[in-house]
Amino acid sequence: MWADPGERLAHMSLEELGNIKVTSVSKEPEQVYKTPAAIYVITQDDIRRSGATCIPEALRLAPGVNVARVDSDHWAVGIRGFGAVLANKLLVLIDGRSVYTPLFGGVYWDAQATPLEDVERIEVIRGPGGTIWGANAVDGVINIITRKARDTHGLMVSAGGGNIDQSTATARYGGGNGKGLDYRIYGMGDVRGHEFHSDGRNYDDWRLGQAGFRVDWEGNPRDTVTLQGDIYDEGVGQSTTFGLYSPPGQMTLDGLAKLAGGNVLGHWKRVLTDRSDIQVQAYFDHTNHFEPEIGESRNTYDVDFLHHMTLQGNQDFLWGLGARLSPATFAREVPTIDFLPHHQTDEIYSGFVQDEIPLHSPRVSLTVGSKFEHNNYTGFEIQPDARILWTRTPQQSFWASVSRAVRTPSRLEEDVQLTDFATTVPLPVYLRVVGDGRFFSEQLIAYEAGFRSALKRKVYLDIAVFYNDYDYLSSFQVGTFFLEPTPTPVHAVLPLLTRNGIAGKTYGFEVGPDWKPEKWWELKVSYSYLDMKLANRPGSNDPTSVLIDEGSSPRNQFFVQSLIDLPKRFEFDQTLRDVSALPAQSSSNVLPAVTVAGYLTADVRLGWHISRQLELSLDGQNLLQPHHAEFGGNPGVLVGIERCVYTKLTWESHGESK
Amino acid sequence: MAMELPKKANLPRLAIAAIVGVLLCFSTHSMPASNHSEYEVKAAYLYNFGRFVEWPQKAPSESTGEFPICVFGHDPFGPALDSTISGERIDGQMVVARRISRVEEAASCRVLFISSSENKQLKGILSTIGKLGVLTVSDSPDFLQQGGMVQFVLAEERVRFEINLTAARQAGLNLSSELLKVAAEVRGNSRPGD
Repeated sequence: MWADPGERLAHMSLEELGNIKVTSVSKEPEQVYKTPAAIYVITQDDIRRSGATCIPEALRLAPGVNVARVDSDHWAVGIRGFGAVLANKLLVLIDGRSVYTPLFGGVYWDAQATPLEDVERIEVIRGPGGTIWGANAVDGVINIITRKARDTHGLMVSAGGGNIDQSTATARYGGGNGKGLDYRIYGMGDVRGHEFHSDGRNYDDWRLGQAGFRVDWEGNPRDTVTLQGDIYDEGVGQSTTFGLYSPPGQMTLDGLAKLAGGNVLGHWKRVLTDRSDIQVQAYFDHTNHFEPEIGESRNTYDVDFLHHMTLQGNQDFLWGLGARLSPATFAREVPTIDFLPHHQTDEIYSGFVQDEIPLHSPRVSLTVGSKFEHNNYTGFEIQPDARILWTRTPQQSFWASVSRAVRTPSRLEEDVQLTDFATTVPLPVYLRVVGDGRFFSEQLIAYEAGFRSALKRKVYLDIAVFYNDYDYLSSFQVGTFFLEPTPTPVHAVLPLLTRNGIAGKTYGFEVGPDWKPEKWWELKVSYSYLDMKLANRPGSNDPTSVLIDEGSSPRNQFFVQSLIDLPKRFEFDQTLRDVSALPAQSSSNVLPAVTVAGYLTADVRLGWHISRQLELSLDGQNLLQPHHAEFGGNPGVLVGIERCVYTKLTWESHGESK
Repeated sequence: MAMELPKKANLPRLAIAAIVGVLLCFSTHSMPASNHSEYEVKAAYLYNFGRFVEWPQKAPSESTGEFPICVFGHDPFGPALDSTISGERIDGQMVVARRISRVEEAASCRVLFISSSENKQLKGILSTIGKLGVLTVSDSPDFLQQGGMVQFVLAEERVRFEINLTAARQAGLNLSSELLKVAAEVRGNSRPGD
């Protein structure tokens, strides 16, 4: 027992000081306290110790994010509700590159295979991020940031396998010239088996390969340049149902979706003066996405410019411009699903301004801003917001905001012709979802507030509340039957026109305490509550969307992560998660709404740093039941996510001492 | 055909009890040393930086017999800084800790820790005191890029530091090779006439 810990420290050598493991006052980086929004940062260490093997699983760590696994290769993700396999109210970025598809306005999570070892952190912002990031950041923004090349020097090899016939191998090599130029290249392959199917149709196994590079240059104090790119190729097993004009009227196909593509991104930051800097970013993305029933080939060209200045009175001012062109070709694979025209170029031009103004009291700041956007579907959109932050002490802050956000149409709402079989009595009847170009943007006005505090040295509390006022949410307007002679046989069609016929409110809160009861034991808890009250707008005759929107989001979500550092460089980490039931969940108008029961399950991980360079981990996932379903998204029975065990070995030539 | 949905198992109660049991076992043992807070270690570093830097002749505080280590902006150290340096001397001068709130006061400091509360004005602060022969230290993420000299970084729960040698040289400070050897990174090492 030392009389005065401080005195002894002062007499240590520099090397000794650099080897002491420290506990931070708070795990949150400074930027989190200063952000007037509900932001949560998932760090590389959080990801490593959670046992997550892919990005959607890592997202479970953030409060307010609903992650439901549909089957082996599909996830439904939402923030504050509206979770769906192709969730359209979220903006997801990897290093500033948007990874959603304008075809459906959602994210193909199975195509985002960035190796988790290369993820520096994931910033999750709940609530509209409209001002800087643009449209479709309605319910939130997920920003996946990869590590700088200078942090990934040396050779890293990792391999793992488990009982769901899953194996992963990743290799990465990085280096630098010591003068500000650093690079890395990586490659990974992943094979996964299927989950539990009570009907034995094991269609959801998948395989993927991805490779990429990153080069960072910081040769002089003023400039930072990054160039990075990836290519990938996957076969994703899935089951789809689509209509046929000849008997039996519809078909369910268990097949393989082929996804392949690549991207290249360049980013340049230049410090102009001591009070201003600029950033320029440009990227190109090519995606080939071919499922049994639809196919698309798409190129995206994006350029963004941002200027940051400190103005008089210490105002932090940002403004920027951006342009994105996305020409794509739709390939019609079956007669009942089509997007017209086949070839279409989406164009978005945008600009934004934002000013953070410290008010008369030094600890209060007001941020106002707006994004202006012009797109080829709805024309001009404005998304203003205003936020206020009060940093009562450096460890305690309050914030509140009002913002408007829009979700612009995707091709699904504007151009689709999707025909599904309904019945054969008295003659074949089909439902046809029709996009006739009369769909406009969904709108949200969000009122939010939050509080963050490091209570005592070991406890950190983060609370956010929200009230979302939605209008013009997507719906179907049931039209009138008409007879269609071709393709034969003659059949009746009931058109369902895509409209904006739903409005309503959602509200709730998220609480995320973080507690370190012992130096070697950290507990992270998050609880989210969501209530939805939606209804048809006057004139809307949509019979099911309100029920399904409300029934597809869980009311409560509870998550506990316990991280224990054991002697001899072992780590013992446990996760408990509880999600309430989805009373009427459906992924499309073809699949009937089902009830997905609530579930409580746990993951456990044992990690061992065998040496400076070698780490072994043993993970058990979904341990409390042999299998449980989380979300429906495929025709047929709900797929049960199985209890599984896997092990992973990682070797790093530049491993840190632990 | 509806699938029979699995009921929530009674397993959770058992699992929780097991976990708690294991944890209780461990809480009575002493754990590997991690007895220090981040800022206790940083305070010790500040003191050590003072020992490994050669100061230009025109150092202003020589006459007072004090070696001031200053904190500018919000103070994240608290009493840790004072207890760390208490009774210590560098070059025969008594090490003292000062909290300052105006840039003008920085001229009398030897080592200046700039809190991240001053992030917005960092460029301005650094250009004002840049040539004064004061060693600037911070844990702001872009400190070196803005012209700061020493930046704390947290790596695997350990406190390390990076050095911007160019900035130090421009202030007339000579950093000992001991310091450079231990630094996680040294920038501006081989660029003449920068």
